[in-house]
Amino acid sequence: MHPGLINPAVVGYICAMGLALAYLVQRHELVHRLAVLSTLAGWAAHTVALIVRAVELGAPPFGSLPDAVSVAVWVIVLLEVLIEQRSGLRVLGAFVLPIAVVLILKATTARPATLAPALAGAWVWVHIALALIGIAAFVFNFVGAIMYLLQERQLKLKRPGAFYYRLPALETLDRLTFRTLALGFPFLTVGLLLGALWARTSWGTALTFDPLAFFSLVAWVIYAGTLAGRAAAGWHGRRAAYFAIVGFAALVVTLGAGLFMPGRHGF
Amino acid sequence: MALFVAGLSHKNAPVALREQLAVDDDKLRELVRDIQGAGVLPEVVVLSTCNRVEVYGVADAPGEARALAFRYLCRHRGIDLAGVEPLLYTHVEAEAVRHAFRVAASLDSMMVGEPQILGQVKDAFALAQACETVGPRLHTLFSQAFSVAKRVRSETEIARHAVSVSFAAVELAKKIFAGLARRAVLLVGAGKMSELAAKHLVEQGAFPVYVANRTWSRAQDLARALSGTAVPWDELETALGTVDIVVTSTGAPTPVVTREAVRRVMHGRRGRPLFFIDIAVPRDVEPGVDALTDVYRYDIDDLKQVVDSNLRERAREAQRAEALIEREVGKFLARLGDVEVIPTIVSLRARLEEIRVGEVKRTLARLPEATPETRAAIEALSTAMVNKILHAPITKLRESSRQGAGRSWLELVHELFALGRRS
Repeated sequence: MHPGLINPAVVGYICAMGLALAYLVQRHELVHRLAVLSTLAGWAAHTVALIVRAVELGAPPFGSLPDAVSVAVWVIVLLEVLIEQRSGLRVLGAFVLPIAVVLILKATTARPATLAPALAGAWVWVHIALALIGIAAFVFNFVGAIMYLLQERQLKLKRPGAFYYRLPALETLDRLTFRTLALGFPFLTVGLLLGALWARTSWGTALTFDPLAFFSLVAWVIYAGTLAGRAAAGWHGRRAAYFAIVGFAALVVTLGAGLFMPGRHGF
Repeated sequence: MALFVAGLSHKNAPVALREQLAVDDDKLRELVRDIQGAGVLPEVVVLSTCNRVEVYGVADAPGEARALAFRYLCRHRGIDLAGVEPLLYTHVEAEAVRHAFRVAASLDSMMVGEPQILGQVKDAFALAQACETVGPRLHTLFSQAFSVAKRVRSETEIARHAVSVSFAAVELAKKIFAGLARRAVLLVGAGKMSELAAKHLVEQGAFPVYVANRTWSRAQDLARALSGTAVPWDELETALGTVDIVVTSTGAPTPVVTREAVRRVMHGRRGRPLFFIDIAVPRDVEPGVDALTDVYRYDIDDLKQVVDSNLRERAREAQRAEALIEREVGKFLARLGDVEVIPTIVSLRARLEEIRVGEVKRTLARLPEATPETRAAIEALSTAMVNKILHAPITKLRESSRQGAGRSWLELVHELFALGRRS
């Protein structure tokens, strides 16, 4: 990706993160507005960078893992703005933007990406796109879980602190984790299935070891378990939050494995 | 003419004196007209609440005006001015503006952030307006004070967090449940405080309300008062299973809600949280229920702790509000100051320009052979000199008026340059 194009986006996100965190500490209307503006500016720059990248490649701009992470960040930031707008959850940025910044920094500093020769056919693009949307949804699943645990702790301790005043009701947070799980899971599932099908047609088997595929399967199992627990056993609240965190940890390992371990996804 | 405010408040005057001085609306109309009628204060507003009695006015000599206003006030209320005089404070110009802003924004209130004061200031202003004792200066001051108060309310949270135990309980419920509409409430025991908490919950949409009491008739009475349903005492545990919020306030010597009972009940709730507001002393709900998932229990001490924390949060916000007011006072004075000094600056420029034009004319008349270049040079030279000379005094005038001390400088400039009497 062109540094000249992606760097303004990164700078925008970092500014937005700083402002969002400042807003968490000292709620000031102006700080929040600046954070939103900064987020939108970063996102606009990011959009331009992705379009240029797509034109340059003559293909969707997520043909390599660093590129794909960059697109995931783009989706995450878009969702952040939309969810914040719709739910009035103004502290969301303070939780989501740090993750977005870490991911985009990882993506831009990873080894130079080249388009994988194995990437061909429409299905593989759908596979990647679905997996990316799934991952973006799980970022919010994770953030909702963290906020739930913070608020729950404050309420149990009975000593209202900064988070008590700034975070919404437990029920709202639990609903956020549930909805993002329900949203992300189908995307991840179909994404993984397409990947497996495509692997079988390309390599003749769906079951050779690939670090990224392996860890994303682990994450899938965790999320499937949580969803089943929620639906069948009424899991919720703290237990569901712990699972959301473990599932997200698996996803982080997945991305790490994809970026730094050799395998088919190494492109 | 100087803007001033004089009066006394809960900060320095005992309630016994404040209540003696408090004036009702009819008397207030009479009073502001009398004060204005005396001819010393062309503009006057009197604010009289249970926490303060203040006279806002415009006068040449604020000290004299204050004495006059309070002489009338004391005469109206039939008390001795000598007992009041030593307690009076007076703020003039910038200080008066700051005071007016702080009072309207509820920063000078006994309970900082309480919402009534703004309405009281508005009423006092409207009353004075109706009596035609408000002129342009007080009008500007008060309209600005109202808009500053509005900003403080919307941009800070000094009025946001509950400072009473029963409201703190409602706020806690809102941090557990996403909205209180259609949340079922169970009252156990029938204390005044639990009734109040229940009323607050119902105002927020909580419904239906159940009442359990050892005495069946008491349960029925209270249920009727709250449009709720009475529940027999021995069905307490069943009721716990269906409601969301439980307010307890029995006089029982031992807990009426045990950890065991709550544990059993939680099984059937499929994760719906249960919130206990335990106002009774000794407590009605076993503290052990804290260990159960999805159960939140706040006793009276916990609620007081939340209130304390809310007060600290309000105090933090009050500091931000003070900073905001400081900026607004600065802006207001700058605007007022500019309005005040502009006529003087204009006449000062006009005076010097008049001298310059006259002198240039005379000089050129004595130089008939002067080339157009020379004439232009003389024009430019004289203009530059006038501008250079005026620069420092004008800057000084603007600055001092922005700091609220422009008056004496204005007088001085008028004297020095013989600009004629100021209006």
